[in-house]
Amino acid sequence: MAKNDHHLAVSPDEAEEALAAIQTIAQKTRQSLSSGGTYITLIVTGVVWLVGFTCTQFLSGQVVGYIWTGLSIVGGLTGAVMGLRMGKRVRSPLTTQTMKRVVLFWLFVVIYGATIIGITRPGDGKQAVLFVVLFIMLGQLAMGMLFSFSTVWWALPVSALALVGYFFLPGIFYLWMAILGGGGMIALGLYIRFRW
Amino acid sequence: MATLNETIHQPVRLRIMAALVTLEPTDEVDFTYLRDLLEVTDGNLGAHLRKLEEAGYIAINKVFVERKPHTYISATALGRQVFKEHVVALEAILKNK
Repeated sequence: MAKNDHHLAVSPDEAEEALAAIQTIAQKTRQSLSSGGTYITLIVTGVVWLVGFTCTQFLSGQVVGYIWTGLSIVGGLTGAVMGLRMGKRVRSPLTTQTMKRVVLFWLFVVIYGATIIGITRPGDGKQAVLFVVLFIMLGQLAMGMLFSFSTVWWALPVSALALVGYFFLPGIFYLWMAILGGGGMIALGLYIRFRW
Repeated sequence: MATLNETIHQPVRLRIMAALVTLEPTDEVDFTYLRDLLEVTDGNLGAHLRKLEEAGYIAINKVFVERKPHTYISATALGRQVFKEHVVALEAILKNK
């Protein structure tokens, strides 16, 4: 054990400097680790939504399907790469133990969502999109509540925006989702990155 | 009354402990990540980590990830406790200014 020097002389200025250094490094650590995954997830998902929904609003048919497929693959791969990078920086027994359950949970969300959409057969594309968005946001909220991820509250405003667009602005629903949903997530991601 | 800790008060060690106690108690951070975060050299960080490890304030875990050696560092319960006391002592000095 190292000795504790009870007579270590520290002036108020030195104490202030030391406390400032502690605060700076703690904030830097939180920014790069705790919120690191969140801001990347937000920006990647935001870009996918911005491009995907804008194309859905103005293009039609098969092209939109190809675009969404491509965007989903790019988004998924980016998320996986970032997840691996984060995993190498910090090892958490909790993460290791629960990762399989998280993957299983999202698999069930997809299966249940697809089953409900299959049974209810949404009348148009907007209904189907709203189903998918609400299911994803529900999953995101569940993740936050179960694992205490501090920055998942954005799922609530995104859900609210989707509902407002669906009920009050059906003519520009996809554009609404692109600009407010996608753009909002990008803005929030940038805010977390630079101002958190 | 909380007391200042000589081992922790050294600037680099103070920043190491500040970074480690910010993590969840069960988490451990990669050596290279900590080095980049603190903007210090490998040798400098290694020397300070040894001091902290000898004091029992941190735990160093060397493992192989994908056949490559990795060094992970975490704060021990004792390290968290003495760091907390050190911060309280620093705040007390400021209050009595």
